[in-house]
Amino acid sequence: MARVSDFLKPSDLQRISNLQVLARQVVEGFTSGFHRSPHKGYSVQFKQHRQYVPGDEIKHLDWSVFARSDRYYIREYEEETNLRATLILDRSGSMNYAGTSAGGVTKYEYATKLAACLAYMMVQQADGVGLTTFDTAIRSHIPPRSRASHLRVIFDELENGRPGGETDLGDVFHELEAKLHRRGLLIIISDCFGETASFLKALAHFRHARHEILVFQIWDRDELEFPFKSWTQFDCLEQAGAKHLLDPAMLRQTYLENLAAFRDGLVRGCRRHNIDLVPFCTDEPYANALAAYMTRRLGRR
Amino acid sequence: MNFLNLVMVGGVTAAAIPIIIHLFHKSRFKVVNWGAMHLLAAVVRTNQKRIKIEQLILLAIRCAIPILLALMMARPMWQGAAGLRGDQPTSTVVLLDNSYSMAAGRAGTSNFSLARDETQRLLGGLPRGSEAYVFLMGEGAGMLDESTRDISRVTEALDKEGAGYGVARVPAALDFVAGTVGNMTEGPRQVVVLTDFQRLSFPVTEDELLGHALERLKALPFPPGITLWDVGPEVTENVAVESVEFSKLMVGVGQKIQIRANLRNYGETARSDLRVTMKIDGRAEAPSQVALGAKAGGQILFTHVFDTPGSHVVEIETEGDELKADNSFLASITVRDRLSVLLVDGAPGTTPDDLKGETGFAQIALSPFSAGNVEQADLIQTTVVPVEALTAAKIGEAAVVVLANVAALADGQLAALELFVQQGGGLLVFTGDRTDPAWWNGAFGSLAPLPMGSLAEDLPEGAPAMGIASQRFDHPALGIFNDPANGNLSDVAIKSWFRLKQPEQNTGPGDAVILARLDSGDPFLVEKSSGEGRVIACATALDSDWSNFPARPSYLPFVQRLCVYLASNIYPPRNLQVGEQLVGFLPAESAGGIAQLTLPDASTVELAVVGKGERGVVEYAQTRSPGLYTLQTPGGGAPIHFVVNADRGESDLAKLTDSEIEALAEAHGLQLVRSGAEFKALDKVRRYGHELWKWLLLALLGLLFVELFLQQKFARGRSKA
Repeated sequence: MARVSDFLKPSDLQRISNLQVLARQVVEGFTSGFHRSPHKGYSVQFKQHRQYVPGDEIKHLDWSVFARSDRYYIREYEEETNLRATLILDRSGSMNYAGTSAGGVTKYEYATKLAACLAYMMVQQADGVGLTTFDTAIRSHIPPRSRASHLRVIFDELENGRPGGETDLGDVFHELEAKLHRRGLLIIISDCFGETASFLKALAHFRHARHEILVFQIWDRDELEFPFKSWTQFDCLEQAGAKHLLDPAMLRQTYLENLAAFRDGLVRGCRRHNIDLVPFCTDEPYANALAAYMTRRLGRR
Repeated sequence: MNFLNLVMVGGVTAAAIPIIIHLFHKSRFKVVNWGAMHLLAAVVRTNQKRIKIEQLILLAIRCAIPILLALMMARPMWQGAAGLRGDQPTSTVVLLDNSYSMAAGRAGTSNFSLARDETQRLLGGLPRGSEAYVFLMGEGAGMLDESTRDISRVTEALDKEGAGYGVARVPAALDFVAGTVGNMTEGPRQVVVLTDFQRLSFPVTEDELLGHALERLKALPFPPGITLWDVGPEVTENVAVESVEFSKLMVGVGQKIQIRANLRNYGETARSDLRVTMKIDGRAEAPSQVALGAKAGGQILFTHVFDTPGSHVVEIETEGDELKADNSFLASITVRDRLSVLLVDGAPGTTPDDLKGETGFAQIALSPFSAGNVEQADLIQTTVVPVEALTAAKIGEAAVVVLANVAALADGQLAALELFVQQGGGLLVFTGDRTDPAWWNGAFGSLAPLPMGSLAEDLPEGAPAMGIASQRFDHPALGIFNDPANGNLSDVAIKSWFRLKQPEQNTGPGDAVILARLDSGDPFLVEKSSGEGRVIACATALDSDWSNFPARPSYLPFVQRLCVYLASNIYPPRNLQVGEQLVGFLPAESAGGIAQLTLPDASTVELAVVGKGERGVVEYAQTRSPGLYTLQTPGGGAPIHFVVNADRGESDLAKLTDSEIEALAEAHGLQLVRSGAEFKALDKVRRYGHELWKWLLLALLGLLFVELFLQQKFARGRSKA
């Protein structure tokens, strides 16, 4: 079934500046038509009836069954634990790259919108959602809450944050781990640039603390395909002054192989720790990201 | 290196294009703020150095491509180390074979005219300011005295040239022009030999000279390019009159003489009825026919009686073939009405006719008809004088003086006799009992062929007398005794003789030649040239005192032949080869006058008679064409006939085979061409060099391929890293 958001490219949605509006557009477009609407509530799943025993809460008696059978039965529901999700958003300099094919959308912008959508959807489902942004260190930390008003806080933080600085995922995650008191779902939205080994080690650390981890790796099309032809000076977004003037055509093949090796290393590492690594390209619709999340969410049920 | 299309060389600057493009791209780079630097930096770090080298290599190749393209379009010519401009003046020496074999040809065109036309074309095609020299090999001389830059003068002079009548010897000619080439000054030197490759022109015996000549040429500061040019097809059919021989050394008026002509057929086809005509003084006598097999010789005999004394010309002529110069052979013969012999009797008898006199037998033997009162002409007329009556005047009248048993001559007599011999007279000396060895070895020593030793007269009693050793005689005077029918010298018995001291070894041409020996090995007859005359000395006596010779049948021909031989010494020679100097002796009174010489082409030249000693001398060196040269003396006397014949060696038109010619060229590192077109091609290569564009095109395609290959390879190579 086609959805509105399928036809909306990130570049189109770019025009919607208000994250709230954007998130509702995306999420409602995405979730409409789901068999079990989040409006009906996940947390009222009936499980069974059982006979009343003294000490049970009277409010849980099923009076209609009593009326029919003159016996006390307790309605039992599936226990619905609230999901505590933390969006971990990479705000490093490399996230500020905007490729040509994405229509000027930087990876960070994509990432913030993605985070907004996820947060909106989670709150809609009454899941708790928090936000942590970082570059070389943790820049902000909003603990998970499930109130609708909490969404406002998250959106403000998303809108006000600006990327910059280097990425050092390993150290940052170790620091973050201390702040996450309860286990939950960690959604890392990052390009994962940096040292793969330390990144994986940090993830392993999270896993050890029994966190569920979902990594949304944000790519720009240019980074995947390296389509540059003419002489180009590559200025580093993270380190000022680091630049390379070169003929990219000469290096493309090697770059792509280096890239493949890098991605392969990540994929293997994530699989080892049972982490979902979902790559995104900034020219892809946000809905894909939501779908990936949903799959993950339902798969945990 | 030289370029046919020099403008295109400017295209080499296109090499800058890849560099400019490279720099342009490098300068017009765009800046990308790049995030995934950790991916890129690793690549750059590990590959930067190699990429730089590879980029340089690729850039070099890309620069080389337009350079090669431009060079290719400029059509470069490679000409070796010389590095010459094509329109540079050259120094050209043409060795033109104008030997008379070149007169042969096919379809009415002689090989010489082909060669001449090619030479003119060659010279005409020389760049402006070139220096040229044409050497006529048949004459062994340059056509013009020296090399010239006025090419038109050379070509005009060539127009007048025809095939000559000399013999071309390529080795000698090359040796000769080496100096000329060395003196020429213009740019590249070349020597072109246009010849018909007649076997005779490349004598096996002169291989060493050829090598030497070529080495001389190659050793020059600017060694010339040497080209052999095979001109004209081989012509094999040729019949030549090789020589004419006379049966007598001297011909007298009214005497029958046999004239033998030697002919040779050089062709492959037999001639069954070849017409041969004899002409006497231009008047045809009885024609005859002769059959000549393929590559075979033959003889034909004519007889003739001359009616008048003086100089006559005998011409033997065969039917014509392409090569005309050897179709006839000319001989100048001097017919005498009488030959006066002065017999000087050293021991005269009591009466003039007394056979007891020393010269009695000889007198009869020399003029047998008059002695026998027979009505027949004696060629020889004898005069007998005693020693004391010998005067310079008497000597001057005689053609031959015979000294028989003369003890000694007065100084005046001896001086007159020496002058007589110097001027061409013949002296015949016989010994005898009065001969004084001291005088012989002393005052007479200058005329005596050999010094005199002891007298051999003490043969043991009963021992057989000494004979004349049998041998084959090569000397013209004694040649008839090779045929026993003409008499046998070996049955002469000699009792006494003087031992003539033969030299230990013969060295020079002026030395005495021993014509005959005794059985003991002592010389019997010796001859020596002295001045223009000849002296023959006999070791024994002229009369019968010391031998039985006068009674032998061989005595008469012996004495007659010796006298005729000595008198037949026509000097200077009147039968000449082409190129030999013609010299005529005239009476002293004509000195200072003008003599007229009629040439074979009927034109006349006037020659000054130069007084030299007792006579006037006429000289003419330009005997370039064979035929009859008639010298008319200023006094209006009888004309003197000179004949000039071409060397018969040229008659053999046999050519070196193609493989031999190629081997020759290869052995000496010479270029060989067979046509004007071939020479032009060779000359173009020599002057402009080899065209290189094909190689450049190959190189260009190769570079394009290499560029593509390297580009791929570099990318792949990096990917492995």
